[in-house]
Amino acid sequence: MAKEKANSGPLARRPDNSAFKQQRLPAWSPMLTANTVLPFFYCMAVLCMLLGVWLLVTVQNTQELKLDYTEAGTCNACFAKRENASNALQPCNCTVVFPIEKAFKGNVFFYYGLRNFHQNLRRYMDSRDDAQMVGRKKNLKSPSTYCEPFEKDENGLPIAPCGAVANSIFNDSFTLVYHGSKGSTIHVPLYRSGLTWYTDKNIKYRNPKFVVGALQEYPNAFAGTAKPLYWHKPVYELDPHNPDNNGFINEDLIVWMREAAFPNFKKLYGILNRVSEPFTEGLPVGNYSIEISYNFPVQYFRGRKEVVLTTVTWFGGQNHFLPIAYLVTGGLILLLAVILTVIWWKFGKDGKNMKE
Amino acid sequence: MEYPKLYEPGQLNLLFNKREFFICIAQGIYTSVVLFFVPYAVLSDATQSTGEPLADYQTFAVTTATALVIVVSVQIALDTGFWTVINHVFVWGSLGCYFTIMFAMHSQTLFIIFPNQFHFVGRSHSTLLQPVVWLTIALATVICIVPVLAFRFLKLDLKPQLSDTLVRQKKRKPVGRSMGGVRGGVGSVSEGRLGARGSSRRSGYAFAHQEGFGELITSGKNMRLSSLALATFASRHSSSWIDTLRKKKHISFTHSQTYTISYSISPNQH
Repeated sequence: MAKEKANSGPLARRPDNSAFKQQRLPAWSPMLTANTVLPFFYCMAVLCMLLGVWLLVTVQNTQELKLDYTEAGTCNACFAKRENASNALQPCNCTVVFPIEKAFKGNVFFYYGLRNFHQNLRRYMDSRDDAQMVGRKKNLKSPSTYCEPFEKDENGLPIAPCGAVANSIFNDSFTLVYHGSKGSTIHVPLYRSGLTWYTDKNIKYRNPKFVVGALQEYPNAFAGTAKPLYWHKPVYELDPHNPDNNGFINEDLIVWMREAAFPNFKKLYGILNRVSEPFTEGLPVGNYSIEISYNFPVQYFRGRKEVVLTTVTWFGGQNHFLPIAYLVTGGLILLLAVILTVIWWKFGKDGKNMKE
Repeated sequence: MEYPKLYEPGQLNLLFNKREFFICIAQGIYTSVVLFFVPYAVLSDATQSTGEPLADYQTFAVTTATALVIVVSVQIALDTGFWTVINHVFVWGSLGCYFTIMFAMHSQTLFIIFPNQFHFVGRSHSTLLQPVVWLTIALATVICIVPVLAFRFLKLDLKPQLSDTLVRQKKRKPVGRSMGGVRGGVGSVSEGRLGARGSSRRSGYAFAHQEGFGELITSGKNMRLSSLALATFASRHSSSWIDTLRKKKHISFTHSQTYTISYSISPNQH
């Protein structure tokens, strides 16, 4: 009945009388009144301060040691040597000595750090071929043109791995030595695996397949390719004793290829092996020295190199910014809440003295 | 039409003028600065509990993007005057969409098909499991939202608009009729404050503003009353009424920048 009537006459196109179409949906309308906003501010302030205190206490339990070795100890000779690019293939070893005053308890992580190296430059980050690193034969033989000028070597052979990121891999190596109280010299054992994210090691980087049963499988897989220009050895010789760490799935290569977001960064080099004495509890107090094979030249970009040793908690390493930021924010919110309360009390118009 | 004065801010172009525009820009700049520098300062030294450093580009990207989406959603939630089912669906739904699409883009399936394009594989799964990342996002949200809340509260307390006092009065009276012109629309978040809180059961479109900032930016006739708004509303009033309105508006803008409604307009000057 209603439909017939609606089909003609002036009310023909009236919309339905439903809640949705007549905008009568049930709704909750929050309002910013004093008794909701002010307690909220106080609660937020208290919460931020508690969080800040808790995080600060957690961070105080970590220890960190940074050592800039660009020109320290005997490394200034190597520093001078690396200024000349024609010496690039000659090895240079140096030693830096340092003490540890307070024992590092727990798991200790060994990082190398670089300052003023912009891995976040756009053109640098684009200069890689992820399809090649995942093991595709087609990309192995013809890498992406983004890798220019690190795509082919002077003989026309494709470079594996191609690109500027792989080419500039950090190639210093370290050996940590502990000088015990009795004059003994113990090499500190470090795990050099387990440094990468699971998805990196198992999905993002895979070696190209080789013919099963062929001798010297890895060189066979990379046949027809050349090593990157700045490398000392080709990619299948990065760790010939461990096939799980050789080729594209080498952990140092994977760690380097994960570009850092900022110019001052650190990357994981090794984890303390706590199986044998005297490192079962961590690093004991005493004198240590690092023997460095110094290859990476930093003069060209006015950078610095450093070594970092830290312990970690659930929160990570030593990171003072977050707890202090929470404390400061909590303090500011408290101040704001007090000011708002005063203003509301003295000057607020909550409708009682507003003339209509 | 119980409260005709509620129509005034729309007519007088009080809500989309140059000053509001620059306030919006300032808030945007402040939020951007906070959303970049807080994750930068936290993540540049942070490591996971397994020792791997969190300072890499992809972790930083995921953290900043997630913080951005959450801050914007909270801001929209603050602006929404009436939470109907549709508002809930769209606000929570857009958050859910963001996380779904991010996880899909960082999944292994897409990486295997296009390794060069989807090279963020596995990032969000690892990053969003770190407590440091969530603490950073929470901190950035708090720093961005607290000033906004404070300003709104102060504005409401010291210079309440007519519509706000009206709603407060209504809340004090027993709720015989529902909160009137409730909003069903999605894009109406900024209009909820002004318009739909009237008790009329008519649709809130009568309170809708004119074109928003687009007109202001592109044409520069922001200081004049938009003819569109007047045409729809003033169809049954004489032109003399419009002239009176124009004159009064001109005076108000040269004398003060506040939008207290303190003078009356006599509508019927035939």
